[in-house]
Amino acid sequence: METSSLFLAENISCGYGGKEVLTEVSFSLPQGSMTGLLGANGSGKSTLLKALCRQIPHRGNCYLEGQSLANLSQRQLARRISYIPQQTGIHASLPLLEVVLMGFNPTLGLLQNPSVSQRNAARAALARVGLGGMENADYLTLSEGQKQLCILARTIVEDTSLLLLDEPDSALDFHNRYYGMGMLQKLLLGKNKAALICLHDPALALDFCSQLLILKDGKCTASLHPASDSLPRMKEALSDIYGPISLIRCTDSLGQKRLMLLSELVHFSNPPLTCPACPQQAAEYSSCNSPAAGDTPKGEPI
Amino acid sequence: MDKNIRIKKYLISALLLIFAGTVFSLFTGKYPLTFALLRGGNPQAVKVFLTLRLPRTCMALLGGFGLGAAGYVYQMVFRNPLASPDIIGVSSGASAGAAFGILFLSAGAFSVALASFLGGLAAVLLTLALTRLAPGRGQGTIVLAGIAVHSLAQTLLMILKLTADPERELASIEYWIMGSLSGISLYRLPFTAVVCFLCLAGIFVLHRQILLLSVDEEESRMLGVPVGKMRLTVLLLATLLTAAIISLTGLISFIGLIAPHTARLITRDNCFPTLLLGGLSGSFLLITADILARSVSSGELPVSIFTSLLGVPFLLYLMLKRA
Repeated sequence: METSSLFLAENISCGYGGKEVLTEVSFSLPQGSMTGLLGANGSGKSTLLKALCRQIPHRGNCYLEGQSLANLSQRQLARRISYIPQQTGIHASLPLLEVVLMGFNPTLGLLQNPSVSQRNAARAALARVGLGGMENADYLTLSEGQKQLCILARTIVEDTSLLLLDEPDSALDFHNRYYGMGMLQKLLLGKNKAALICLHDPALALDFCSQLLILKDGKCTASLHPASDSLPRMKEALSDIYGPISLIRCTDSLGQKRLMLLSELVHFSNPPLTCPACPQQAAEYSSCNSPAAGDTPKGEPI
Repeated sequence: MDKNIRIKKYLISALLLIFAGTVFSLFTGKYPLTFALLRGGNPQAVKVFLTLRLPRTCMALLGGFGLGAAGYVYQMVFRNPLASPDIIGVSSGASAGAAFGILFLSAGAFSVALASFLGGLAAVLLTLALTRLAPGRGQGTIVLAGIAVHSLAQTLLMILKLTADPERELASIEYWIMGSLSGISLYRLPFTAVVCFLCLAGIFVLHRQILLLSVDEEESRMLGVPVGKMRLTVLLLATLLTAAIISLTGLISFIGLIAPHTARLITRDNCFPTLLLGGLSGSFLLITADILARSVSSGELPVSIFTSLLGVPFLLYLMLKRA
């Protein structure tokens, strides 16, 4: 179970215009798996990712495979870290193949062009994310979700040891979200790679990440390991950022043990929900004792 | 692959059109040059051909290509479809330089060309130096600094115009600003040609980096592009190219803007063929405009009149055809 850590961040602090956004964030990323970065809007997730790849000035040290990142040139850094910003900044019409080929740039000489095998690898990566046969399509005409898939393909060909992904799933549909995360998981598994992913969907994080970092007001308040941590501990840490939640251990139809997270904020919604079992209003919902009320969802709420 | 064939077809037809334009350009003008005269070895005809027509035609081809390619670079690097050499002050700097040359140096064509080349270069260096002052150094800063330098050069130009003798000097300044290829001759071409070829070669080999510069700064940095240095290099190449051309021809409007758009409407993207086609459409536009400039009336007309007159309807046609 114990895996060695590939990346280490020590006391990362940074701020914009005198306001401190991150305070002394320290963590390590295990090799071969994904770490989810969870936090409310404005908690500093994106800032942390940008600080890690030196986009914004910060204090503290980062070590990738034991080597400090501060001493690397921009080009060396790009060979080791791939970064997906929240919104991709491609504003010119380009064929998808060309966008994916950009991923080879850090390893190519300044005047060198991608080789035939690299072109084939780029095509294969596009096919892998489900955009096969669209190599010549214009990137700007894609839907937001397809754009994210294309950028994911670019990340695949970059083949770096550290992946920093800022909500790579935000525009993906339900199926592609799980498909994409599964692909990333496979990409890392058993390799000398690690990924830090900002996610807004805790269900996805619980399913795919071996470690969860909770970021609140610029501080890393907890580091969770869904496979080994106790439910109460996880519930406490998660409700710190998500408000009232139910965290349920359950078994899916294939017999796989999974964690399910439900927000209890629905009970505070307006207009109030009615209890499924009786005509009483939501205010009394919690006190409703009819058997149907506790029926859904199946599992053992804690 | 269907697309590649389509682009090849367009490239070939562009080359054919340019070839036709070249032949026309060589045999159009005040001196009635014909193929028979040249073959007959008529000394006057050969002289006109070698020292006037040929350099002028070459300049139209090269200048159009250079302005089109430079326009492509500006539009990509600034991620702005309206970007042109004006955006970092090169054309207004060159105008002010030319006016200075006309007023204070000899009115000879060479000194005016040199003054405008240096003026354009000075404006760009000033723009980039101003950019260095700001902490961010992003492309927004370059545009702001460019606007400042552009206005400064315009003011300088106005002052120079005020002090000019309205009969002769003011007229030559105005004429320079409207652009013309009439002043090109054999001995003035080589310097511009060498600069153009070097800059174009640089732009061609750095093409992949130019594509990457069109991506947001943080993203392209994480794709291994040394953004600051690369942007500076590419902009300097495009600017030198522009300055070298307009120092000989005067301002030529519209080609830098319209040629890349024409190419883009054909290729529908921004890859290498777009740069190539952008250059070729620039060549074709300029050579056609130059033929008209010296054949429509008995005297020489400014070439910019025709680049705009030809360019606007063509752009509209392409726009409507696509919609």
